[in-house]
Order: sequence, then C-alpha cells, then structure tokens
Amino acid sequence: MSTATATLPRGLVIARAWAGLGDAVAPLSNAAGRPLTRTVKLILDPLVLRPVLNPEFAAGAVAVEHVDALRARITGAGPVLAATAGWFVVVKKERRRLRITEGNPQDLYFQRCFELATEHGMPGLDATRAAARVLADVHTPEGPTVAGLRDFVSDEATAHELTRLIEATWAATRTPPAPVPAPTAEFLATCATAPDQALFHALVTAAAGSVGAADLDRSGVALAHGLTDQDRPARPALGARASKANLPKPFDRSIVERLFVPLTNAFLRTGLADVPALVRQEISRSAGSWQLADEVSRVVMLLGREASTGLTGDSPAGDAQARLRSRWEREAYVHRVLRMPSSALHADVRGVREAYLRRLWVRVHGRELRSDPVAADQVWDVLDGVLRSVILDQRDRLRSLLEREAGS
Amino acid sequence: MRVSRSDGLVVGDWPAWPEVTAVLEASGAVLAWDVLAGDAVPAARVHDPARAAEWLWEVYGSAAEDVLGDADDVTVPEDGDWSVRDACRAVAQLDWARAWWPASASAGVPALDLVVLQAERALALSNVEHLLDDPDAVERALGSVVLPADPDLAERVAALAEDHGIDLSPAPAATRSGFALAAGGGPGDIRTTVLTGTSTVDWMLVPAGSVDAAAPAEWAVVRREGATVVEVSVAPGPRPEGPLVARFGDVEVTLDEVDPLGRVTGSAPVPASVLLLPPDRRTVIVYAPGFAAPVAPEPGAEARQAAVIAYARSRVGSPSATLTERTAR
Repeated sequence: MSTATATLPRGLVIARAWAGLGDAVAPLSNAAGRPLTRTVKLILDPLVLRPVLNPEFAAGAVAVEHVDALRARITGAGPVLAATAGWFVVVKKERRRLRITEGNPQDLYFQRCFELATEHGMPGLDATRAAARVLADVHTPEGPTVAGLRDFVSDEATAHELTRLIEATWAATRTPPAPVPAPTAEFLATCATAPDQALFHALVTAAAGSVGAADLDRSGVALAHGLTDQDRPARPALGARASKANLPKPFDRSIVERLFVPLTNAFLRTGLADVPALVRQEISRSAGSWQLADEVSRVVMLLGREASTGLTGDSPAGDAQARLRSRWEREAYVHRVLRMPSSALHADVRGVREAYLRRLWVRVHGRELRSDPVAADQVWDVLDGVLRSVILDQRDRLRSLLEREAGS
Repeated sequence: MRVSRSDGLVVGDWPAWPEVTAVLEASGAVLAWDVLAGDAVPAARVHDPARAAEWLWEVYGSAAEDVLGDADDVTVPEDGDWSVRDACRAVAQLDWARAWWPASASAGVPALDLVVLQAERALALSNVEHLLDDPDAVERALGSVVLPADPDLAERVAALAEDHGIDLSPAPAATRSGFALAAGGGPGDIRTTVLTGTSTVDWMLVPAGSVDAAAPAEWAVVRREGATVVEVSVAPGPRPEGPLVARFGDVEVTLDEVDPLGRVTGSAPVPASVLLLPPDRRTVIVYAPGFAAPVAPEPGAEARQAAVIAYARSRVGSPSATLTERTAR
C-alpha cells in the first residue's frame, strides 16, 4: 500500500541530485557514492542549500513542490563542487608532502577548498602554491597553549596573586537569585521535536539555571550529582599541572586542570582568550552557579539534571526523560548482542546519571570557553549526545577492563 | 514485511537470540539481521522516526514511506540501489563476528584475525557514516586499528586514517596472551573416577574466543587421597582471556591449570553427597567472573550453537562473506 504524501526525505533528494554530479565529486563522497557526512554538514548545508535563508531546504522532509528547486540548487553548484573536490585532492597531497598529520582534513579544509573553488574554479597550474598557503594558514599555531598556562602559573608572585584572587572571589557573598517558577518541564516536553525558543529564552532571562543550582551547596547534593567527591563543593586550588588521565570530578579540579583539556586541542584553542585572561575568567567562573559563567550553560545543566532523572528508577514523566531512558534501555540490549561484559559486575561503570552530569558539565564548560553558547535548537542534541558518549565510553572501558583482567 | 506499532515501531521479524543477531545502531533506528536467515533486508526498531526518515529509504526503498506512515504490512521492492544497505550489513556482520564468531579447533572453525577485523570495520563504517547514531564512529573505530599485513587492506585503511587525521601504528608482533597457567597435577596420582559428564559451555557467559566454541566442558567426580573432588576441563579458544570458573552444584571450581592435553582445568573438593544429585543437576556452568554471572543456559542453546558453527564454517573462503570471515585461518 502507498499513502500519498507531499514530502520526500531530504537525504533522498540530496542523494539523487548528488548522483547526477558523477565522478567529479568522488573525493567528497563515500564508497556508496553518497555525499560524506561532512560534505553535507560543512559544504552543502552552510554554503549551498543554506536552510537559514531557505527554510524549505532544512533537514527533515522536503515538500514535493520544493524538490526540484533543491535538486536544481545542487546541480547548479555542480561546477563549484567539482572544483572543491579538485582542490581538496590538491590540498591533501600537499599536506602529505609537508608531512602534516594533525587535525581532520575534512574539518580543516572543506570550507577553504570551497572558497578556493569559488575564487579560482578548478585548480590550475599554481594550485600547489595556493594549497600551501591554505595549509600554512590553517596550521599556524594560534591561541593559548598548555605550556603558556604552565609558565604563567609557575611564576611565584603570579601564583600568589591568583590564589588570593580565588580566595577573594569565593569569599564574596553570593545572594542566590529569588526562586521563580521555571518552565523546564514545558521546554523538555518538545525540545527533541520542536524546540521552543521563547521558552528557552524565558528560562535564561529568569536565571532558572542559577536558581536551580542553589541546592548544590547543601551537604551531599553536588556529591550525589557526581560533580564532586566532597560533601560540599570546596574552593578550587590554582594547581600547577594536569594530566588527561585521572582528572578529578569537575568541582574538584584545580583552575589549571579545568583549562587543561580545552587547551590541548590545537584547533579548539584558536580564538580562546590569552592565558592571563583565561585564568582570571576561570577563577570567576568557578565561583558561579554550577561553577559556570553563562546563564545559558547553567540552564542547560538544569535541563540535563531534570532530563536525566529517568535514567534510574521508575519510568519517567516527560518526553526528553523518556527518550534518554529509551537510549539507556536500548544499550542494555545492544550490550548483550555485542557480547559485552556485564556492567552489573563492574562498580566503576555504574552511576550513569552522575557520569552524565559530569560529561554535560565538561561539554558546556568547553563551549563557554569557546564562546559558543548552546542555542535552543541545539539543546536536545547536547542532552542526547552526552548520554551517547557516556554509553560509548562505558563500552570502551568495559572492554579494556576485561583485557586488563585477562592480563593480570 | 510486518510492521508492528504495539510496542514501539518494529519492522519485520526481530532475531530471537543474541548469538544470531547482527545489529547496526543507526540514527533514529536500530537495524538487525538474523545471520542464519540470510535475508538482505533487515528488521528495524525505529525510535526516532524524524531522524530515521533521512536514510530509511536506503534500506526499504519506497516502502520506507509506508513504514513511517501507518501501514501494518509493507513490500520492500527487489530492484534498487542497495549499496548503502549492503554496507550497513557489512558493519553489522563484522560486529557480529567480533562477538560471536565460534572459533573452534575441535569443530574446524578457524580464528578471525582481529587486526583485519578492526581495519575492515573502520572502512565499512566510513561507507555508512552519514546514517550512524554515533557521528564519531569512524574516528572511534580507527582508534583501535593497527596496520594489517594485507597490503591492499593496509593501503585503504591508511588512506581512511589520513582522511581523519589519525596516525596508524604498525601491528605489534603477535604475542601470546599474558595469561599464564600453572601446569596441572602430574601423572601418577592414584584416583578412582566415580562419575563423568559433559556440559555445553554457554557463550553468553564467557568472552568471545576464550574457549573452544564447540567443545563441551568435561567434568569428573573422582576419589583421590581419601577425598572426593570434582575436576573440570575445557578446551581453550584462540584468546584465552582471564580465569574461568566452573560451577558444579554449589561448588565453584577455578580453572587455573593446564592439563597435558592443553585443556584449561581445575578441581575442587565436593561433599560425597554430590553422587546423590539427580542426573539433570549434574552439570557444570562455565563462566568468566567479571564478564557474566553464572546462570543456567536458555533452552535450545546447544542446537543454536551448532547452527552458528555450521554457518561460520560456510563463511570461511566464501566470496560473499566479509574479508575478515573469508580469510580466517
């Protein structure tokens, strides 16, 4: 049977239009001939289809009356896409010649290749030189580094001053904002399907995240959230060094430890403030609600706390809660089918909600550092993506636990 | 295919048992093939129709629309470009093989080369990256790849790694697992065997490759030096990982020795009353502590295992199998 519908999946429309471009775009395609994930994310969406300007091309279903226009848009971009593919091959070749291995080439060069293609068309005789310029530009170290951070805090006078700053910042009395009813449940009810921007905005302006953090200072609350091993969050130390393995729980991390991971990624640290500013901002952040600076991040933490209530205990109320619960239950099944070690036997992989809140904190903290606040329509991707990454890391850890046991 | 909507949206017949199930975790839906059934078209559990709609047409063609509509029965067309569906199956098949491949010296099922498997899996994932639940699945997979010996495979996976900015290390020289076993009791013990038997090892309770998938656990109740003990032995698989324990009645036997036949063995004292156990309770349950808790196998486990073993044998050297299965030896 067939129901007459007036839409087609966007993926289908794109795949058909893409197939018409032929071998010229093979470097932007996978072995099945479909555009690569990053081709869609970094080229087709922002540079060709531009759903912000053309909402009829947005992800999801495309109304049949717009199908021809979408196809025409991709077909029309055929020459520049073919040239983009050509440039990508040249840049990759030059990258190999220069023995550059850092970073994901698609992430780093796709949009630059599109620019080159728009400007020059297909790569010509001096293409190698243009490619070398792009590489030099992309791979010039920029932004604060771990070494810079270490140097800054190793100066005795500076360290002393910063420690005083931590003490003063934490000693300043913080008047908790007056509690107001916050429409978190309403926002969570539709954030996965039809995120309500006005509601999200209302949560932020009402400082719902800050209000919701008030109980974290009470005995055992932040501990139960998995954010600290202390009974109450304590003032962080300045710290001197850090290692990626064995980082303490978020609220127990020193200022240096909080900045360490974001600074280790050469491509994420571009655009970060310089080290002295970064350290002072982190000190002030550590004394804020949720130990975060922006209300948007605090609201996301609050939403995450509510959405994750369904991970343990009885079946949850609310759509976001039910969706997270369903992902968690699906994992129990997949776990069995993949013949994974039973997680019930390993204490250090229990506590999914605590792991969830920890991971969520690290994610919104990183976005704060990069001045990349979570938008209303990104909230669900963050809430869901954090659970996925907790689950996948748990799988990796269970596998390695098993191997370690085998080795012992 | 049947479409059921009573307990979530389910398309087709979901495979009944874990050891025959090849799954793919896609965005908004999980796909599953019953490896013994041999169908090209998978069953699906759709949990987020909006996400799944983007790619479900690659799997069910024109029937995808009806699946996401309100049909309770759909016909998937035969003809079409099924390259993405086949690529999905390859990923699922490799994950199945990693979990359930029944390597067995006694049944003649050769072991898989895990280096080949990891490389082929990363390549297979890259063909379906756009519809996976985990957007970083390829990077994650490349993280456990080392360069395989096969030059063609090595070249392809190296190019993939380069495309993701990941450095691959060459495969380390093969070493035996560090799991050392003490030599068992020497010959010359004076012993009287009172009772013997064999029990199927439930695959659910031991890690993949840890025991010979076809050989049963053998047990014997013996009298030696005035005591009654139960002795248990199992044939090890290609990757004997960690200590195994056998439960006989209420007695736990740690299998931490190797007998002259290379079998993993152990013994533990038992009360003489075990001889009074009814025959159906005279069984051993072999399990790996830290992997699973000992439970009695589900009915029919033995027949299902035999079917999977026969299936695996048919995959070795078969042109339609994955490279990993084809080249097992």
